[in-house]
Amino acid sequence: MNSRKLSRIILETVLVLLAGAVFIPLLLILVNSFKDSREAALLNLALPTKFHLENYAYVIKKGNILRGFGNSILLSSMTVLTISITASMAAFLIQRSKEKIVKGMYYLFVVGLIMPVAIIPTIKLMMGLQVHNTYGGIVLYYTATLLPFSIFVLTGFMRSIPKELDESCLVDGCSYARLFFSIIFPLLKPAIVTVSIIVVLVVWNDFFGPFYLISDSKKWTVTLSIFNFANKFETNWALVFADIIIVISPVIILYIILQKHIIDGMTSGAIKG
Amino acid sequence: MSKGLKYPLYFLFPAAAIYLTFFIAPTLSSFYYSLTDWHIDVHEVTFIGFENYIRMFSEDVLLLALKNTLLLAVLVTLLQNLFGLLLALALNEKLKLTPILRAVFYMPQIICPLVIGYVFTALLNPEMGLVNMLLRAAGLDFLALDWLSDPDIAFFSIIATEVWRVTGFAMIIYLAGLQTIPSSIIEYAQIDGAGYWSRFRHITFPLIAPAVTINFLLSIINSLKVFEIVLVLTRGGPGYSTEVFNTYIMRHFGQGEYGYSTAVNVVLFFIISVIGLAVLSILRKREVDI
Repeated sequence: MNSRKLSRIILETVLVLLAGAVFIPLLLILVNSFKDSREAALLNLALPTKFHLENYAYVIKKGNILRGFGNSILLSSMTVLTISITASMAAFLIQRSKEKIVKGMYYLFVVGLIMPVAIIPTIKLMMGLQVHNTYGGIVLYYTATLLPFSIFVLTGFMRSIPKELDESCLVDGCSYARLFFSIIFPLLKPAIVTVSIIVVLVVWNDFFGPFYLISDSKKWTVTLSIFNFANKFETNWALVFADIIIVISPVIILYIILQKHIIDGMTSGAIKG
Repeated sequence: MSKGLKYPLYFLFPAAAIYLTFFIAPTLSSFYYSLTDWHIDVHEVTFIGFENYIRMFSEDVLLLALKNTLLLAVLVTLLQNLFGLLLALALNEKLKLTPILRAVFYMPQIICPLVIGYVFTALLNPEMGLVNMLLRAAGLDFLALDWLSDPDIAFFSIIATEVWRVTGFAMIIYLAGLQTIPSSIIEYAQIDGAGYWSRFRHITFPLIAPAVTINFLLSIINSLKVFEIVLVLTRGGPGYSTEVFNTYIMRHFGQGEYGYSTAVNVVLFFIISVIGLAVLSILRKREVDI
């Protein structure tokens, strides 16, 4: 065996051990979510002596999980819808137009990639506009905070759509609206899919926004329901873990199926910058 | 022909309207509210000048939060980039397991930080937690510490958790950067007898400079905004020993001090803008130099 092969084997072993450091914490929640509260309090990786599926039944009943699921699905799909339309329209104009006001607006969007949200004045604004604690208000908040990222990615993608396409379409007498909706928008689809996946992940995982903006418990998202459930059942790890597994499994499944899309999407904004 | 095209501005209207109303307007109005006595018990908000800002200097907890936030941002940024780069270099060796390892290392990034906070609360539990169990099993009892309730250690436990959470992101960006380097360049250098370190210093590193820039910028900004991990692991405690900006803002928001907590948020806003721009310009300049 040559030394090159040996060093590869050592490298692979080290990496697999490190992958264990990522995996084991997640395995810990999974196995303990099936234990009774006494066994789960030991917080170890042993398999449960008996599988307590009723933990899940209890969490679904008491943790308001289904409602949280409904709210998170509703908010993320509505945000995807508003973002896909508004951001792709904006990206189309930003990439094509040379007007100063358009360029200026683009810079203002890019600045938003970095800026933290002024959350307390946002609450006041929402109250003033009568959209506080409404689904619409939260969707507008998410749209506003995710527009910079979405426009950035979509504008980058617009560069690959040739301008000659616009010219030939307009020469044929179609309007700008028709050009956009029947030609450009369909061509943007791969980038819109990428952006949408990221938007769903961000909205699903976000805690900061709903924590400040949603006081009505009927509209709590999954993250708020975990937070409140964990505060209530602090001492019962089995239930808290079952709650966590229910909330993160859709994300993990999505990740397993769409891994390439998710990684590309998360990095596309970063690398082209 | 293309000069004649006049794209109508209305394509920008919906996005601009939503962004200006729900992002820019609150940001601008936060400058005003930071200069008022806005409070849950006050019916009419009055202008009080820089009183909120002056008050911050006399609040020890705020100064502690400032110190903690900055120290956390620096340490997380350095560690995330060091580990991220090492992992990326290892995975770039085209191992059989690369695709699956890449997916595993990136996974913490897609799980919500709140959940990661709970998982690490369990892992770092002093009696039962897996970390101390492993340490004791290895005969390192003296290292089996009280990770979250000892004021001297809790802060570093938060940093470790955060590094566990974000390293995969830096790794992915570095890996993407490494994959843009043509293998022929590396092969030529190998033929010329350049060792690994010298190849890395003179070829690889300069070529991934854009990835370094973006990684440093994003890690600094994101770690200055740290919130959920601290909230769940320590709530800023024990005492105020792990207080950061966002937990401090939450605490004073909870007490109804809206004007004051907005002022603190404005300070965070300026810190992020200044550091973000400074890091960007330093690294961009260096990119040109090499």
